Amino acid sequence: MLFLPHWPTDYLKRRDPQLKAPLVLYEPVKGGLRLAAVDAEAMRLGLSAGQNLADARAMVPGLTVREMDRPLLEAAFADFADWHSNASPLVAVMDEVSAFGDLVLDITGVAHLFGGERPMLRLLLTRLRDLGYTVAGAIAPTIGAAWGISHFARSQVVEAADLETILDALPVHALRLEPAQIAGLTQMGLKTVGQVRPRPRKPLQARFGASLLARLDQAYGMIEERMAPRLPPAERYAERRFADPIGLMDDVLMTCHDLAIQLAIRLEAEGQGGQAFHLFLYRVDHKVMALSVNSARVTRDPEHITKLFANRAERLEGEYDAGFGIDMIRLAVSSVSELDAVQLGAFSHQGVAEDLDQLNDRMSSRLGTMAVLKTQLVASHIPEQAARLVPTLAANDGPRQADWPVPLRPLRLLPMPERVAINAEVPDGLPASMIWRRDSYKIEKASGPERLGAEWWRSGQRLQLVPPKKPKEGETPPYIPNLPKFDPEAGTRDYFVVEDGSGRRFWIFRQGFHQQGEPAVWYLHGFFA
Amino acid sequence: MFLFCSLEDGAMPAPDQQQRLAALRETIADIERKPALAEARVLVEQQGGAFPVLAGGMLQEMFTDERRNAGALLGFALAQARGLLTAQRQAVIYLQLADEAQKLGLPYGPGLLSFGLDPDALVLVRAANMGELLWAVEEAIACRAVAAVVADIGSHSKLLDFTASRRLSLRAAATGGSIFLLRYGQGREASAAHLRWRLMPVHSARARYDAKAPGPLRWRAALEKGAIIKTGTEFLLGWTENGFATLPAQRHHADRHAGRAALPRAVPAALADRLSQTA
Repeated sequence: MLFLPHWPTDYLKRRDPQLKAPLVLYEPVKGGLRLAAVDAEAMRLGLSAGQNLADARAMVPGLTVREMDRPLLEAAFADFADWHSNASPLVAVMDEVSAFGDLVLDITGVAHLFGGERPMLRLLLTRLRDLGYTVAGAIAPTIGAAWGISHFARSQVVEAADLETILDALPVHALRLEPAQIAGLTQMGLKTVGQVRPRPRKPLQARFGASLLARLDQAYGMIEERMAPRLPPAERYAERRFADPIGLMDDVLMTCHDLAIQLAIRLEAEGQGGQAFHLFLYRVDHKVMALSVNSARVTRDPEHITKLFANRAERLEGEYDAGFGIDMIRLAVSSVSELDAVQLGAFSHQGVAEDLDQLNDRMSSRLGTMAVLKTQLVASHIPEQAARLVPTLAANDGPRQADWPVPLRPLRLLPMPERVAINAEVPDGLPASMIWRRDSYKIEKASGPERLGAEWWRSGQRLQLVPPKKPKEGETPPYIPNLPKFDPEAGTRDYFVVEDGSGRRFWIFRQGFHQQGEPAVWYLHGFFA
Repeated sequence: MFLFCSLEDGAMPAPDQQQRLAALRETIADIERKPALAEARVLVEQQGGAFPVLAGGMLQEMFTDERRNAGALLGFALAQARGLLTAQRQAVIYLQLADEAQKLGLPYGPGLLSFGLDPDALVLVRAANMGELLWAVEEAIACRAVAAVVADIGSHSKLLDFTASRRLSLRAAATGGSIFLLRYGQGREASAAHLRWRLMPVHSARARYDAKAPGPLRWRAALEKGAIIKTGTEFLLGWTENGFATLPAQRHHADRHAGRAALPRAVPAALADRLSQTA
């Protein structure tokens, strides 16, 4: 648990060294301007959060005052929290009591990397103090205890055996309670946690609610408390720290290759492979940059992984900014599943599909996932719905059966049908000439119509699923208030295959039925070979 | 050495013998320079006049005069690509610039089925610009599981110059897959393509039961560049389930096009042709 009481002001001072202490941040609360955050200097002078801004100005003449920009600070604190994942992969921001300042790190099984819990705490604290932050920290068996100790005692490591003695001595504020609960307990003369704990539980619950008991039990470890880590936990990762920060993308990719080899060795030993790989670059100035790539096939091939990241990095261009340098790189794998070692045969065709998948991955990583597509056939007779383009990463074997009919369809389809003008000798007859993109075509051969009706069953479903609600007086409804009744005519198309004098063959259709007196609406939809 | 002396000493070889010798030397030189082309030439000679079944490893440019012939052009390329699909090479990669989809249309799955190509074998790549498209062509042709790469280029680009086409032709020859560049318009630029076709759609054949309906498709493909046969040779082609069908050329069509110069910019193109033959 890390507690940074003056984080917002420390952060702003670090961003802008011109800001002079004492610094306070204010925000409008219920019509008045009240202090939202104060720095260490202002606190020493007797200011605290919640005070009226005018009072504060009167008390401290040379006060530096800024308005609080919550979205900016929240984003910055999130980045700050992510950066701490270089100490432990599970980092959470505790925003129950205050929005900024409380960081929880689950260091189970991590401390030995830093030479034990005590050196780890010392390292984390000195690192932040060197950056100019006021910070206190505590390592304890429970989240509740760590919170209380970091806020109300000196920074220390608490073993499970000492937990009760140390917690008992803390004031009741250390239990993360509501202000009303604290006031009530103080009125009863209960000042320390140790005085509250032996009291009968039923009257306490009746007076202060179940949350008091829950907090108490959480602090002493009677019930488990969960944290919501900011980054998805990756169980398998490889990382490297640098004595001197690095900056060049080439160096990053070289390190990535080394890490991929390390990771591959581990995965191979476990008989596993992954589909999503994440590269975290930890910058010296507490920022994290994350790159992710996906693979269509479960893999652990370091060459392939490095190639994907290299392609992904090419797409970054201006976005890549190493700042003052990168001092740690971590390569993590997620979507892990079993991947057995395969024996490659001289005549096996298995390698072919794998080669293709790897090619698709490489192209997707450089051009974007939505740029590398496969056709998936759908059971629909509406031409534009009969085929769907899906990213190769997501493509699977479609539902196509061998006995589906194969109607005559054009080789190329226009994404949007284009309006054409058609003349026919008789109103309902075959087209005789066509004007498309300002060129006129004399149609010499034509066949049709092939009548494709609307999917009445889908339209009917939609009508039932969205019953129109009555809009309130003067309110513009966000939905279509009166859905049009299903109109079989509107969705019906008559398709024709036409050939012009030079042998070009087009697929055109007339929208709706032919009606007396109204000009028919024609579209061009595709080209035949 | 001995052979040389005997030639010197004896009478000069007969003129027809000399010719045969020269022809053989040329064949050897061709095989050394362009294995794929030499192979194709042998094939063409064996098949006698029919449209050759071309092996992989070639960069082919396919031109058509107008964008509205895009359907026929894609058909010609996919028809050749289908012949290259094997158990080891299972995929055809089709590339297009993302903003040209509405101009040219996208390959359509059910249409591929009715044309005779499995839509599963085709991967569509929509590149944002020409640089990325060329990168993707190179990346795709380097993969040994790819039978053919079809790059549909609807507009002119400076990036697609002689150097780029030379790179692609070398890549194709090295890996054994074919690259088909689909181009539109009558202008020709210097390129290092092994073959250059000019493709035009032709009146379809008579439909069996309905004289007014379009029948089996017909294309006319003229070889503009590439020494597999006499350049300028025209084929009248049909497309069946079993592949290309070469039809006897229709006289009047050939006459109509004979008067017109095929190449508006004949000189630079011809120069470039010779350049790539020797390079």
